[in-house]
Amino acid sequence: MQQLTIFMDIESSRSYIDELYSPNEEKIIEALVTLKNSVIGSNRQKSSVIEQGIVPRLLQLMTDDGLDPNIRLEATITIGSLAKGTPENVASLVDQGTTIVLVELLKVVPTGTRLAEACLCALRSIFQHPPAPISALPADMRLLTRLTQIAREGSPTARACVVRILSIWCSGPVEQEALCAAGACSAAAALLASNRYTAPPLARALPALDLLAAMCFENANVSQVALNTRYGDKTIPELLTTLVSRDKPLPVAMGAARCLTFIHRAGALTADDTRVVFGALPCLARLCTKDMPEDIRATAAETLAYLAEVDTSLQRLAAISNHLMSSLAEIVTCPSAAAKQGAFKCFASLGANDEDIRKRIIETHGLMVHVVSGMNNPEPSVRLAAVRCLHSLSRSVQQLRTTFQDHAVWRPLMQLLNDSPGTELLTVGSSTLCNLLLEFSPAKEPMLDQGAVEMLCNLTKRPEAALRLNGIWALMNMAFQAEQKVKQRILCCLGTEQMFRLLGDGDTRVIMKTLGLLRNLLSTRHHIDAIMAEYSSQVMQAVIVVLEGSYPAEVKEQALCILGNIGDGEKAKDLIMANEDVLRKLVDYLAHPEGKLQEAALFVAGNLVWRGEAGAAARQQRLADLGVLRALKLLRARHDAHHLHDRVKTALAQFNDFT
Amino acid sequence: MSFETPTNNGNIRPERRYYDRSKSDDLHISRTDINMLIMNYLVTEGFKEAALKFQQEAGLQEPALCSSLDERIMIREAVQSGRIPEAISMVNALHPELLDNDRYLYFHLQQLQLLELIRAGRAEEALAFASATLAEAGANDRNALTELERSLALLAFPDPHSSPFADLLLPSHSQKIASELNAAILKMENQEYTNPKLCSLLRMILWSQSEFDKHGVKYPKMTDLANATIEQPK
Repeated sequence: MQQLTIFMDIESSRSYIDELYSPNEEKIIEALVTLKNSVIGSNRQKSSVIEQGIVPRLLQLMTDDGLDPNIRLEATITIGSLAKGTPENVASLVDQGTTIVLVELLKVVPTGTRLAEACLCALRSIFQHPPAPISALPADMRLLTRLTQIAREGSPTARACVVRILSIWCSGPVEQEALCAAGACSAAAALLASNRYTAPPLARALPALDLLAAMCFENANVSQVALNTRYGDKTIPELLTTLVSRDKPLPVAMGAARCLTFIHRAGALTADDTRVVFGALPCLARLCTKDMPEDIRATAAETLAYLAEVDTSLQRLAAISNHLMSSLAEIVTCPSAAAKQGAFKCFASLGANDEDIRKRIIETHGLMVHVVSGMNNPEPSVRLAAVRCLHSLSRSVQQLRTTFQDHAVWRPLMQLLNDSPGTELLTVGSSTLCNLLLEFSPAKEPMLDQGAVEMLCNLTKRPEAALRLNGIWALMNMAFQAEQKVKQRILCCLGTEQMFRLLGDGDTRVIMKTLGLLRNLLSTRHHIDAIMAEYSSQVMQAVIVVLEGSYPAEVKEQALCILGNIGDGEKAKDLIMANEDVLRKLVDYLAHPEGKLQEAALFVAGNLVWRGEAGAAARQQRLADLGVLRALKLLRARHDAHHLHDRVKTALAQFNDFT
Repeated sequence: MSFETPTNNGNIRPERRYYDRSKSDDLHISRTDINMLIMNYLVTEGFKEAALKFQQEAGLQEPALCSSLDERIMIREAVQSGRIPEAISMVNALHPELLDNDRYLYFHLQQLQLLELIRAGRAEEALAFASATLAEAGANDRNALTELERSLALLAFPDPHSSPFADLLLPSHSQKIASELNAAILKMENQEYTNPKLCSLLRMILWSQSEFDKHGVKYPKMTDLANATIEQPK
């Protein structure tokens, strides 16, 4: 037996490193074992070995199939140990092509050998350091089939390694489909099977649950395959349902509930499926309770948020499960960012649709204080989640008037939005602003002072359609029944040029809201005249652009409504009367096959012909000359316009002198 | 979701049974079960010779010895007799990932090696060894640092064996580490129970008794585990 020295310090023992290059295989293996024993357990030694440039030699020894198999094994084990060092160590290994060598080796070494196992261990260690070198493992069907075969039939260690590697590797639809085709679903099912009394061991079940979750995430096809994959007499959802029960270890129950959640959200299990309603949901609610470790509670809250994100019945059910509200309120106070953001997201999901739940959330003791302080959290993910929560709650009219006001939530929100936030935060934050700026919201005034108009105008210039929409939407809300100075400020800040640009937007919703803004700006007689005095040509041009362009009917309807508003102005009326093009269009729209356009055109005509106002007679004369009167009479005669008859009659009654 | 429904329904009263100690074999425990438990104890704890003998004498069919038993015995012997580098080398050959994953365990093995040097009175070597290898673990882990300080404090005494930290030099310390290592190896081999099942059974008795005590229930209490002495409630 070799002499074991007490010191196995790399710097002081250059000699055995030289032996690695010896032609004598005996000496190489001795040196390798010494090297291995010195690096295992010590990051300092690992760094030292890497710095001395020994890695390439080790990779060479691993791949040389002319050498003693033990040399190749020990070299691979040593590389595997280096891969358990610091992040820098791992990065350096990856830079030197270790991953590629390991993958190539896996393609050729017979499965079931110790060398194959050592390879898998090393690869797993490398993959567990983010960022995992995912591209080094190609979606090659032969290799994947080989790997899934190991996952089914290999030694316990080999199976756990393969599945862990694949669970990290599976990061998108391409990988999901490739793994599914290579039979990874059935391999995962085999790893989840338990006998009657005991759960599968953690080391086996956890990677399999992670792999299954990664494969099913947002993938309808793979989730459907998982639904029908069996091991023994049980399908995957049935295996998972067994694992969510109380007697299973917490991480296993958590992982199983997460898989069921993903399969549901991918559309393979309905929201009323028993495995969702009695399997995943109660398990997640239980894992949120205060007896659980913080990391489990954090993941459970976040997963529950995803589970209940869209379905109202699941939201209602979750809200009454296992004191979830108070559990979540406690998670918010946990120190870790993961816990806080999980809880905020979960509150956001629960309150997404149901006013009663929102009310209960708000009534949860001290929650608003936490939401406000969450918006100031140094961790971006917590800030985002807190804003999401606020957004969900801001759908409640009552809360806008009461709790939101009490806590001045607009203040941290405006601060966040003015502080160059990321796109995601900006999207959710500006959606929240839209709600805070509704007319009945008392936050409107102070937000104006904080520069809300300027910020929103800038949003309308963003390349992301969602942000432009939120910007213009919020401006529209802000202009609704606003004071004239607010309207002037919006117009002045947005500028007519930008308004025209928005009317040409690729997103119809943006055009709709832009016209909606114009409509809100042009309301009440006094404001109409004041604004038209300054912007008449631009506004008229905007209306004509829309009426003449190829826009959908609902957009044109908005334009006609604007015209109707202008027609309500005292002086503004004349602008329409002076524009023969517009008047002829009016005649056309009164006879339009689309009901809502007819109705809108009637609204415009009604305002223009209104009697008791100065110059009414002259206007009526002109409208009669251009055929408006005839068009109205025709409209009265039409049976399909029955619901408009009253208003047509009123309009015609104005023309007394002509009939 | 399905619930298991008990076989007795409303009109049949569930039969209540008390275990009467004076009656002989009301509850039958098979000899094989007991033998298996004993075997499990011997194998888990690494008593190989005894296990083989017992298998012969009890006429057990399967030699329920797990694959790593020989190695585990050799590793235990090496640790308890102070041949630490040899033990580490054997562990690395058996499970190369073990000591990388459990650095605290690795620290404990190195600490034993340090204690060997101190025991042999090789103070300078001990200090050099501590700064070269143990310092790394001490810098990363508070617990390790405290334990390292306690070990090095032994050097301050002319006779370490009569110092306040003499417990570190007792065989019970290296036995404790050897068991820790043994359990870690078994865990690595995906064995569900790293402790002998007999221990679990005894622990369950203690737990049940403490639950009874908490709720003030009177029951025949086992007061001495080693002799299974049971005292009747007063």
